[in-house]
Amino acid sequence: MNSVLTQIQPPAPHSRLEEQDEFEHTDAAAWGSMAGFGNLSRTGGIAGMSVPRVADPTAFLDMHTDNMSSNPEAKIKIAHGTTTLAFKFQGGVIVAVDSRATAGSYVASGTVKKVIEINKFLLGTMAGGAADCQYWETYLGMQCRLYELRNKERISVAAASKILSNIVYQYKGMGLSMGTMVCGWDKTGPQIFYVDDDGQRLKGNLFSVGSGSTFAYGVLDQGYRWDLTDEEAQELGRRSIIAAGHRDAYSGNTCNLYHVKENGWDFIGNYDVNELWYEYEAKKKADRETATAAAAAPSPMAVEP
Amino acid sequence: MECSFGLTGKDYVLLCSDMSAGRSIIRMKSDENKIKTLGPHLAMAYGGEPGDTNNFAEYVERNMRLYHIRNHYPLLPEPASAWIRRTLAESIRSRHPYSVNLLLAGYDTTTTKPHLYWIDYLGTKAVVPYAAHGMGVYVSLSTMDKWWFNDMNKREGVEVLKKCVDEVKKRITINFNFNCILIDKDGIHHINIESEDPISEYEAAQPKDTVVEAPNPPLDVGVTA
Amino acid sequence: MELNGGSVVAMIGKDCVAIASDLRLGNQAVGVASNFDKVFPVNDKLYYGLPGLATDVYTLKEHLRFRVNMYRMKEEREITPKTFTHLVSSTLYEKRFGPFFIEPVVAGLPTPTELDPHPKPFISTMDTIGCITTPKDFAVAGTAADKLYGVAEGLWEPDLEPEDLFETVSQTLLNAVDRDALSGWGAVVHIITQDKVITRTLRARMD
Repeated sequence: MNSVLTQIQPPAPHSRLEEQDEFEHTDAAAWGSMAGFGNLSRTGGIAGMSVPRVADPTAFLDMHTDNMSSNPEAKIKIAHGTTTLAFKFQGGVIVAVDSRATAGSYVASGTVKKVIEINKFLLGTMAGGAADCQYWETYLGMQCRLYELRNKERISVAAASKILSNIVYQYKGMGLSMGTMVCGWDKTGPQIFYVDDDGQRLKGNLFSVGSGSTFAYGVLDQGYRWDLTDEEAQELGRRSIIAAGHRDAYSGNTCNLYHVKENGWDFIGNYDVNELWYEYEAKKKADRETATAAAAAPSPMAVEP
Repeated sequence: MECSFGLTGKDYVLLCSDMSAGRSIIRMKSDENKIKTLGPHLAMAYGGEPGDTNNFAEYVERNMRLYHIRNHYPLLPEPASAWIRRTLAESIRSRHPYSVNLLLAGYDTTTTKPHLYWIDYLGTKAVVPYAAHGMGVYVSLSTMDKWWFNDMNKREGVEVLKKCVDEVKKRITINFNFNCILIDKDGIHHINIESEDPISEYEAAQPKDTVVEAPNPPLDVGVTA
Repeated sequence: MELNGGSVVAMIGKDCVAIASDLRLGNQAVGVASNFDKVFPVNDKLYYGLPGLATDVYTLKEHLRFRVNMYRMKEEREITPKTFTHLVSSTLYEKRFGPFFIEPVVAGLPTPTELDPHPKPFISTMDTIGCITTPKDFAVAGTAADKLYGVAEGLWEPDLEPEDLFETVSQTLLNAVDRDALSGWGAVVHIITQDKVITRTLRARMD
């Protein structure tokens, strides 16, 4: 008898989440201020995310979504392929990202904003699933604001990134796809934390994330110093994104550049990867010509033999 | 788990390869020479499926030597690249394909131009000014994109190569030792890329101390009266 | 196809044809070379493009060069676009059970003969095992094929003069490969007319 009952019952929701079906809340009261919103409870906590009603939601999602290109046969292609980087230096934090979104080999967009402005002092970068990053970093912004209201002081970058890493750790193994850098300036100065979908959270001076990250590292590492000037640092961030946009098929289009300082972040600009690439090539050529011309011309101090 | 680079300069070409060899996660050797000299001005850095690599490299080496003996002059870089490409392209559709990727570097003594070819196990050939295979592709191609320029002298070329090696040591979790050669009009010479100033060392050394033994059959071999 | 990337497009104009390709050679996501030609001449009235697996591009190009030279010596005349298409097709079908991973595009102007004093410009395309289609407007192939169809369908019109055809084919190629991650990195266009071939390299996006 018992075995028959378990067979006709719907599968149990994911054990680690107190799952509720979102449709249960769609009565009129649910839209009032006392109710939560969507999957958010009244206090702003996560009331629960709906998961596929199958025995093993993780396996189900793996089968149907192309998570990090590991399953090219899948019908649902999640937008990914990115280069993002952030580094600390004497003058604060530089954050630079590309703007290409691809689905398979199709360039779905060339104007994606991959830096999420969490608040005036905090930036989050976006690599992996666009929706995952956008949703959870916006949610992080909400939590950071609540922290400010509750504690009458700004949240530290360490604490903010910990909120995010705790959330993604809850969903570990369920197909979230995100590699993000939470960057900002708090009481302790400039800070960068790397948070990914494994639940890994790392503090550091220099990170690059995404399919083009290795190419960005190749330029970044060779030009990085702590005592870079503001202009040098911005140029290094930009140059690294252009290098990655050039070599990596899944990165490019434009580069968005941010500089985080003591009084919050500044948006420095949006640059076309292609135009800058031609500019760099022309400059390389011009520099070379002046160098050879200088070498060929006799030195004014030269003494005749 | 391998890594190689090559780059051309004004009148020379540099080739650099890691020296590790082993099986699965075990490194059995860290001083294996994975650059094969194929002639007085021709060499290749190779990698891929263990076993296939050495076998294929020796096959190429012997054929290049055979050509040299038969014709009294070595095969130039361009036709050598065509022959190697074709061998791999025929192999990929055979019952037992070679799984070997290589960078072929040569100095054309007739035109005094350096040549570099990127060739993979399918028989894909690209004529390039600088290239990488293995792990080097991901971290050092962009380094070369930024720092390489046309007609570099030897010192400038080695500086770029040092940046690439430095980047691999920094970002790849595996520890590599590197082996490097330089091919110019005088033949093939060894360069100690790990040292502080490889070019000064190279210039200070006697040519015979840096020269890399290359197959160079004497002219009278095979000549019948 | 998706290993190395690359695309080709051919279009018919008024007494002229155009064939254009990108110049990328990639190894999956990584660009390896930006000088990889995929379009080759047979003679100054006939060109063909070979998008697909790069090793087969070389092999097939060399094989066709041999076959065309043999034809030239035996027949003592130039091969016509139509005959050449059948030559490519049968070469591909020879490898029916282990095909070349190439989708060729042929574009040419047949030379006027007594029987046919005003021959029409000719383009054709094949699948990997040699099934021929001879469109009357344009032919596309490669990783950006679906994007090329879209742009070409919108831009192409009949009886374009050489310079207008150049503009149309260039815009088609550039805008299509900008929406394809695996094509691009430079582009080259050939316009074949009765008295000359115009070859131009385009300033394409390099990302």
